[in-house]
Amino acid sequence: MDIRPILSSLRKHRIPAFLIVLEITLAFAVMLNAVFLIAQRVDQMNLPNAIDERGITVVTTNGVDATDYAGAITRGLTALRGIPGVTAVTATNSLPLTHNAWEGGVAGKATHEHWHNASDYFMTDGGAKALGLRLLHGRFFTAGEYATASIDHSYASTGHVVIITKALADDLWPGQEAVGKLLYTAGGSYTVVGVVANVLAPSITVNGGAHWYSSVFFPVKPGDAVSYFVLRSKPADRERIKRRAIAVLTKLEPAAVIKGYTFSWLRHHYFADMASMIWMLALVCVIMLGVTAFGIVGLSSFWVTQRRAQIGIRRTLGARRRDILQYFQTENFLLVTTGVVCGVVLAYAVNLFLMSRYELPRMPLWYLPAGAVVLWVLGQLAVLGPALRASHVPPVVATRGA
Amino acid sequence: MLTYYLELAWRRCRQNLWMVALLVLTMAIGIASCMTALTIFGALSGQPLPGISAHLYVATMDARAAVDKDGDAYSPASLLNLRDAKALVDAHKAAGQVALTKSLARVATLDGTHAASQVLGLMAYGPVLSVLGVPLRYGRPWTPAEQAARAPVVVIGSQLAEKLFGTADAVGKSVAMGKRDFRVIGVTASWKPRTAFLNLAMQSGSALGQPMQYFIPVGAALDGGVEPFTSGRCEGGPVITFQSVNVARCRWMEAWFALPSAAAVTRFDRYLTAYAQAQHAAGRFVYPPQARLYGTRAWMALHHVVPNDVRLNVILAGGFLLLCMVNVAGLLAARFLKRQGDVAIRRALGASKRQVFAQHLIEAGMLGLAGGLLALPLTLLGLWIVRMQPVGYAPAAQFGVGVFLVLLVLSLVVGLLVGMLPAWRVCRQPPALQIKVA
Repeated sequence: MDIRPILSSLRKHRIPAFLIVLEITLAFAVMLNAVFLIAQRVDQMNLPNAIDERGITVVTTNGVDATDYAGAITRGLTALRGIPGVTAVTATNSLPLTHNAWEGGVAGKATHEHWHNASDYFMTDGGAKALGLRLLHGRFFTAGEYATASIDHSYASTGHVVIITKALADDLWPGQEAVGKLLYTAGGSYTVVGVVANVLAPSITVNGGAHWYSSVFFPVKPGDAVSYFVLRSKPADRERIKRRAIAVLTKLEPAAVIKGYTFSWLRHHYFADMASMIWMLALVCVIMLGVTAFGIVGLSSFWVTQRRAQIGIRRTLGARRRDILQYFQTENFLLVTTGVVCGVVLAYAVNLFLMSRYELPRMPLWYLPAGAVVLWVLGQLAVLGPALRASHVPPVVATRGA
Repeated sequence: MLTYYLELAWRRCRQNLWMVALLVLTMAIGIASCMTALTIFGALSGQPLPGISAHLYVATMDARAAVDKDGDAYSPASLLNLRDAKALVDAHKAAGQVALTKSLARVATLDGTHAASQVLGLMAYGPVLSVLGVPLRYGRPWTPAEQAARAPVVVIGSQLAEKLFGTADAVGKSVAMGKRDFRVIGVTASWKPRTAFLNLAMQSGSALGQPMQYFIPVGAALDGGVEPFTSGRCEGGPVITFQSVNVARCRWMEAWFALPSAAAVTRFDRYLTAYAQAQHAAGRFVYPPQARLYGTRAWMALHHVVPNDVRLNVILAGGFLLLCMVNVAGLLAARFLKRQGDVAIRRALGASKRQVFAQHLIEAGMLGLAGGLLALPLTLLGLWIVRMQPVGYAPAAQFGVGVFLVLLVLSLVVGLLVGMLPAWRVCRQPPALQIKVA
């Protein structure tokens, strides 16, 4: 189809044509960035976490008498172990997705080259089972290792062994067996005895960038700083066990503030604002596409009305209905394409701006053709109604002098 | 003339109802989404205590008393040892000064029949009520003499008083807090800052201010086993429960100063630097102290009190409003150009370009206002949706008179802006040509 008549006709309607192009440009740029923000959040919400999330109940205590903290934790663990349906218990310093970050530097060499940020998890005897850690290499801690280690004045383990996640092992010793190697921290060195499937950090933003899985586990005996009781059970038992655990601990520590959660609730809570942001962004995208479509319908209808006379003349001179239809479809395609080309520039500019201000990665290139296709389809659908109406203008209109 | 143009616009609007509805709805959606995002942003980014916090400054310095194993890097820290906090307050170098920290306690009546657990309050050294502008309903604040004598007194909020004693006037009664009884000497009206700004270093979660239900002098509080919300930053090892033994080795208080003029700020800054340098020279601070004052807003910005999501929403809503405006401009252009015939006749009868322009601009402005009116319920709906969300800033989504005024102005501006280009386009053509077309 010859596009020259279309172009010269558009030149007569510069302002409406310019406005449609501008609208497509804006819609393209805003929509792509909004979808990109959605994708970022969906990715983070779907990060796998190799603990038994569906079977874990967490109870926190606050205000336990500090003069015998270790004794209080030991008594608590014993009491919780006695609840029917509980298969394992442990006490930890923190848990994934609790915002309670214990950060420390780790390195694979004594020279502390390639220092990595890692999240420290301390767990008492039974921790591996209570959390449901999945062992990939090596072994879990022995009862002896649990019984002798504690946390020293600089938040470091006084033990000599550590279990690390697969992701950290691959970062520190790429392509090598991590079990048996020494892991260096500010506090000393520890022998890696096991490698487990990836466990998330307490906060997925804390280690910077994509280091969600840089986690290390130390054994610890009950004492200061382990304030999370972790109970494992069948998923269906969790609510009952949560209530029972709170009652049991309240009896032991009447003055303390005791709270219980299922891990599923913790995860839901952690991602709650992310989920609501996703919904808002999605809603805006949908409304935006709707508004754009209505704009195209409105302007195309106007053009059709204005050009009734010309259409009539063209029909008289032998143009078929299909030709008229195609004319409007091609016109719309040209306008949308121009808008998309400008939109690519604007979308990247907005992305760069957001990258500089909000620690976002670069938008993948494939977003651009995908966005273009969406807008082409939208444009064609929007113009279809007015174009069909135009194609039904009878040739006789030409003879009526508009 | 204006009324005539308004009447013309009204007549025209009735001619093509669905087009007008589409125009108004599009503008309304754009304005409403923008207003929703702006309302939340405004609520979170303003002064936490209007009229008061603009003159409040927090002291920051590198007060680490031992070499840090995690590294020497320093980012501005407001937490101070109790000793330094007291020294800065006792110097009386500012118009008002107070050292404080958040505290969480269980408060009960002496007979134990009424109790409130997990009550949030402030432990303070200095005249906390006057510095923060907390309105007192009954009684009085504690005196310097009571503070020095570590007298067990407390000022409680009216809500807490109602809950414990059934009446707001609880002056003279006593409450059990920690391991001791405290005499209630004053009752404040319910008070909370609009946004969080105290203890930001230990802040996690909500950007909104929390109501403070009690104010207690720090000395008596520590004696009585009332503890700060967090133990702050401590030298040498984890502190899980804060006890008097840990007071000395932790930095957990924040010092705030009322400095009403730029000269006062400069003067105080000099004093603060000298104080910190003296501590460094005496060997108490191992690092160069880099003492500095931060204004409330600057301090909030440093700690990203306004969540990124809220800022992103404003940018997105702005983009969306722009899109809606372009859309409406396009539809308006079509609408105006359809009536070139009418315009030609008016022009031929002697109407100037300016008059034609004004007529069309007034029509656009009227549509804008109509959009604003429709945006009102949509904004209320948007804010309601935000309040239903499980996000920390949800309660900030409140509609107020200010929001309504901004909305009205915004809708008028939007209407006039979108009308500008189409109105210019329609008045530009010479009358002769338009008559021919007609």
